[in-house]
Amino acid sequence: MKNSNRLLRLLPDLVLVLMAAVVLFPVFYGLMGAFKTPQEFSSYPPTLFPESFRNLDNFRYVFDMTPMLRYYLNSLIVATLSSTVRMFLAVFAAYAFVFYRFPGHRFFFLLMLTTMMLPPDVLVIANYQTVSGMGLLDTYLGMCIVSFVGASQMFMLRQQFMTSPVALHDAAMLDGCGDFRFIFSVLLPTARPVLITLFLQSFLAQWNTYLWPLLVTNRNSMRTVQVGITMLTTIDATNYEVILAATFVTMLPTMVVYLILRKAVSHAMSSGALIS
Amino acid sequence: MKRVLLMLAILLLVCSVGVAEPVKLTLWHSMTQEAGQLMDAFVKEFNETLGREQGIEVEAVFQGKYSEAVTKLNSVLSSGQTDNLPDVMQLDATGKVSFASAEMAYPVDRALQEHPESDLSDLLAPALANWKMGGVQLGLPFATSTTVLYYNKSAFDALGLTVPGTLEGIASLAGSGLEKDGDGSRTVFACLPNTPTLANWLGQLGSNLVNRTNGTEGTASALECVDNGALLEFLKTWKALYESGVLENGEGSLDAFVAGKQLMMISSSSNVTSLLEKIGDSFELGVTFYPRVSEKAAEGATVNGSCLVIFDQGEARRNAAWTFVTWMTGPDVQATFARGTGYLPSNVKASDSSAWTELVSQYPQYEVGLRQVLQTPDTMHSVTVGPSIDFYYGIQNWVSDMLEQDLTPEEAAQGMAEDLGGMLEQYVRANPS
Repeated sequence: MKNSNRLLRLLPDLVLVLMAAVVLFPVFYGLMGAFKTPQEFSSYPPTLFPESFRNLDNFRYVFDMTPMLRYYLNSLIVATLSSTVRMFLAVFAAYAFVFYRFPGHRFFFLLMLTTMMLPPDVLVIANYQTVSGMGLLDTYLGMCIVSFVGASQMFMLRQQFMTSPVALHDAAMLDGCGDFRFIFSVLLPTARPVLITLFLQSFLAQWNTYLWPLLVTNRNSMRTVQVGITMLTTIDATNYEVILAATFVTMLPTMVVYLILRKAVSHAMSSGALIS
Repeated sequence: MKRVLLMLAILLLVCSVGVAEPVKLTLWHSMTQEAGQLMDAFVKEFNETLGREQGIEVEAVFQGKYSEAVTKLNSVLSSGQTDNLPDVMQLDATGKVSFASAEMAYPVDRALQEHPESDLSDLLAPALANWKMGGVQLGLPFATSTTVLYYNKSAFDALGLTVPGTLEGIASLAGSGLEKDGDGSRTVFACLPNTPTLANWLGQLGSNLVNRTNGTEGTASALECVDNGALLEFLKTWKALYESGVLENGEGSLDAFVAGKQLMMISSSSNVTSLLEKIGDSFELGVTFYPRVSEKAAEGATVNGSCLVIFDQGEARRNAAWTFVTWMTGPDVQATFARGTGYLPSNVKASDSSAWTELVSQYPQYEVGLRQVLQTPDTMHSVTVGPSIDFYYGIQNWVSDMLEQDLTPEEAAQGMAEDLGGMLEQYVRANPS
């Protein structure tokens, strides 16, 4: 009886471990593959572990074939700038939608939501015309500008701000608190988990963007890491072991950013209670 | 004072002549890995030699895969901001229509009128013909390849077998023992026809896959291989091959081939370098011509790869671009490129160079593609269709269903005529020229 109870208690943990293993296995297999030689990778039956972890040829090949460090820098600038500006604009727009009652605010909110339903590919040519017309080709601003406004971030923040009592806002205004002070001193500290999660989501999406940076840049020195990975594939054959090495190298910064912010998310969640 | 001013003016004139800016060209390319490095090396060499002599400076820019470079081309063309177009661009078949319809396209025919001294007779004729559309020579072949049959020569030699040259011959390999791998089994041949491979087999039977000469003379609007019986003949042969037990209904895998678990595969001739490297000493790699449908079918397969096209950015730049393109398709560059990548030399004179002859004497596998291209009838053309992705998978689905769901070849041919023909008609309706 005791044993079966213990098993029952362990069951949810076992299910979670199993699910984590399913999610992590491709990452683990990819990492192992990055150390394999072409012959090992094509061997039958397939092997899980490489013969030697000292085989760094694939990583060396990635850096020999592409200026990956330069691409790293470009991706970092683009992802950070886009996500930061996007979060700023989303915060102010969400605040306006929640606390201002201007004519047509519902209509504008719905209009903003409809932009989420437009597939980004549909806008590529129109965006190219605009950015090119503004003379922003081959600039970081040109790479980032189309990502400055994100409807989903605005929507999520609006929902978050709506949990803040209107009475609190009214009381703060009566006491002479301005909009900016209310946003930065009252709203944002309580919204930290949402803010950080949205920033992280946006950063990852920008880091992984491929087609847009390729379209609006014409110099190799302005390219991003995703373009670097494409430079390692060919139309007829792909050296998967090299691609896996490149993918792992590319994933590293996003993993680091995630690990840093993950701590901040849990910290914010435990300290961001609002007393109403 | 006047004398001093005059001297200064002369000095300024001399200085301005002395530091005359070279004509700057941009090249958009889609070459990656070793081919990408070679592309950069060629551009550097050009800039330091002929370019310096003639005051031309080229900058090579990687623009992603061919299809992505074409997306970019279409974006620039749609925006009307033609200043953003490159001077020279590497295009594959997916970019033919966009380039041909671009106002700023500078086709080879115009270049030849302006540069009558240019001689293209050394270029590989089938490769050159591949870049014609509507009678206009769009560009010059740069990275040329074809489709060949790779096989595990060691496995065939062990049983005293030679690789058959026809699909009927491959069917006769049933029961030869090739399928046995020790106590286990292995695949003899895996293939699932798609747009280019089906076009090759139909071309061998003297038919195009789609009308307007496989879409090279204009937008294809119908299948051409139904009424003449070529499609049905191919499907009958393919079904017989499957029923022999030799064929696995699937695309096969390069990894399975390298691991010795699949003995024959159809792939681009430009894969030879990568295959030799991956196989190493595991077994001897055999390369032979693309299999014919039957004994009566012609030999060969269409040319694939890419060409270099020019956009007209004014007289000085287009002349400089022509100089660069003819240099890139010249014998020296083509020999080095073929040796370094596995592509076929697009220039006939390149095959006389020591770089190529040394390579072929060491690895005879490289030569097969070139010989095949030279024997391929010039009536065979690669296919350009509007709904390219749906069309590609449509062919695969119908052929696969014929084998797996036991449709008769007649039913499959009829279904393909309606389904694929419908796709083409719909595309033409949606994109009237």
